[in-house]
Amino acid sequence: MATTTNDAVVATHGLTKKYPNGVIAVDGLDLVVRRGEVYGFLGPNGAGKTTTLRMLLGLIRPTAGTANVAGAAPGTPDSLTKVGAIVEAPAFYPYMTGYDNLRLLAIYCGVPVKRVDSALDAVELTPRARHKFSTYSMGMKQRLGIAAALIKEPEVLILDEPTNGLDPQGMADVRNLIIELGKGERTVLVSSHLLGEVEQMCTRIGVIRKGKLVAEGTIDELRGKSTLVIRAQPADQAMAVLAAECGSDKVKVTDDGAFGLSVDPARAAELNRRLVQAGIDVSELHESERSLEDVFMELTGTVSGL
Amino acid sequence: MRELAAELYKTVRRPAVWVCVLGLLAIAVTIGYAVPWLLETFSKTTQGLPPGTTLADLKVTLYPQNFVINTVGNPLGGVFALILGVLLQGSEYGWGTVKMLYTQRAGRVAMLFGKLAALATVVVLMVIGLFAVDAASSVAAALLDGKSIGFPEASEIVKGIAAMSLIFAFWAGFGFILATLFRQSAMAIGLGLAYALVIEGLIFGLGSSLLSSLKNVQQWFPIANTGYLTDSFGAVRIRGIRASAPPFADATHAVLVLTAYVVVFVVISAVLVRRRDVTS
Repeated sequence: MATTTNDAVVATHGLTKKYPNGVIAVDGLDLVVRRGEVYGFLGPNGAGKTTTLRMLLGLIRPTAGTANVAGAAPGTPDSLTKVGAIVEAPAFYPYMTGYDNLRLLAIYCGVPVKRVDSALDAVELTPRARHKFSTYSMGMKQRLGIAAALIKEPEVLILDEPTNGLDPQGMADVRNLIIELGKGERTVLVSSHLLGEVEQMCTRIGVIRKGKLVAEGTIDELRGKSTLVIRAQPADQAMAVLAAECGSDKVKVTDDGAFGLSVDPARAAELNRRLVQAGIDVSELHESERSLEDVFMELTGTVSGL
Repeated sequence: MRELAAELYKTVRRPAVWVCVLGLLAIAVTIGYAVPWLLETFSKTTQGLPPGTTLADLKVTLYPQNFVINTVGNPLGGVFALILGVLLQGSEYGWGTVKMLYTQRAGRVAMLFGKLAALATVVVLMVIGLFAVDAASSVAAALLDGKSIGFPEASEIVKGIAAMSLIFAFWAGFGFILATLFRQSAMAIGLGLAYALVIEGLIFGLGSSLLSSLKNVQQWFPIANTGYLTDSFGAVRIRGIRASAPPFADATHAVLVLTAYVVVFVVISAVLVRRRDVTS
C-alpha cells in the first residue's frame, strides 16, 4: 500500500537533531504514520529512535525539519491533548500510590477522575492501585505507564520500547495490550529493537539506522518475495539450465553452493523436471522466505545481538 | 489553575515537604522560645551580659508584644525555604518525572508557573504557621511568667507576615533556580546552603574590614537585604543593652531588591525550562 499523507497522524519532514558536540542523532527523517495503524519504529540501539520520539513529543527541539503530531506542532497543548506517551522507563512520584499518580495526571490534563479506574482496569493494575509506586515491579511500572498514557483517551499513543526490562510473561502481556489498543481508530507508534515483538504487533514498520529511515513498509513488503533454493550437481550444468530457464540475473549462487532463484515458487516442479531431464541430480529444492531479521540486518548492517 | 491544583495535590502528599515545614516550626519553638525560656529562667550566669543586666531581663523578647520582631528575626527559616524550593523542582529531574510533566496537556511554561504558584502557596502557609506557633509560644511564655498578654497591632503582624513571605520567597526562588540550573537537588542544596551560611557573609565580613566602600556593594546582595528588612521592624528594648546601629538601607530598598531577585529567578527559570531539551 502506498503511503499518503492524507490520513497521516504523525508526519515528519527532514527532521534532524544535531547535538552541540557534533553528533547527529536524527538525520533528515521523513516519517508518516497513518491513522489507525500500529507503526513499529525499528532500529538498533543508538539509531535515533528515542531522540525521534522525544522530538515528536516536544521534549527535544529539532535543529532542522518539521513535524506534525495529531494535527499540531509537537509539544504544543493542541498536540499533547491528543497524545499519550511513554518515553523510556515510565517515571512517577515514588511516594504516591499508582492511583494517586494517575489521579494527578487526570488533574493536569483536565479529564474526569473516573478515567483513572478504567485506565487501571485496562492494564489490570486495579488490585495494586493503592500501593506506593516505589513498591511496584518493573512490569507494574510499565503497565502504570501505559495506563497513564491512556488517561487522556488519546488519538495517538507513542510508546518507546514499552517492553524494556520485562520478563517474557510481562512482554507478552504488554504486547497483547498494545495490539488491543491499536484496534480501531487509535494510532500507535511503538519503538523497539526487538524484531519478534514488532512482527507480532505492527501493521507497518519503519527501520532507522544512524538517524536515517532506511526502509518503510508492511512486514511482507520488507521481506520481499520468497525465493527458490535448489541444490544440484554438476553445478556448472545446473547453472546453465537455470540461467536458460529463468534468466541469468535471477540466479544467484549462495555461500554454501546452492542456487537462489528469484522466481515464482510455483515454478518449482517445472524447474526440477528440466534439471532432471538434463541429467542433473537435484538433491534439494525448497521455497525460502527471508525473515524480518535477515531484512533488518541487511538494512542496518547489524551482525547480531538483537 | 489546573496546574496549580495538580502541583498542590502532589505537594501535600509528599512527606519531605511536611518534614521541611514541621521541622522549621519545631525548631522555631525549640530554639526561639523553649530553650531561651529555660535558660533565662533557670540559669544564674551573667557572663557576657552588661553589668546590671540579668538573663531574666532578656525574657522580654519572648513575650507576645515582641513576637513579630522575634519571628522575622528567625535566621533559620530561609534555609528551610531554600530546601523546599530545591525539593519541588530538583526532584522532578531526579525521578525523571520532568518528561511526564511536559508531555501532559499544558505547555512547559504553564507547568512552571503552576509549580511556582504551589511553591508560593506553601511558603506563605509556612510563614503563617511560623507566626502562629511563635504567637502561641509567646503566650505560653507570658502565662508561665505571669505577664500580661498584649499583641502588636494587626497591621504590624500583617507587615511581618508579608516581609517574612518575601524573604522566604527569595530563598525558595533561589533554591528553585539552582535546581533548574543543575537539573538535580544535591548540587542545588549544597550550593544554596554554602551561599546562605558562608559565601556572602565571608565576602563582606572579610572584605569590609579591608575596604569600607564594600557596604555600597553589599546593599545589592540578598542576605544583606533580608537583614535590612528584618531590622526595619526594630529591636526589642532590653534593660541595660543599647540599641544597635540603624540598618544601612531602609525597608523599601530591601523590598525592591528582594523582589527584583525573585523576578529574575522566575524569568531565568522560565527561559531555561522553555528552551532546554529534556534528554534524561
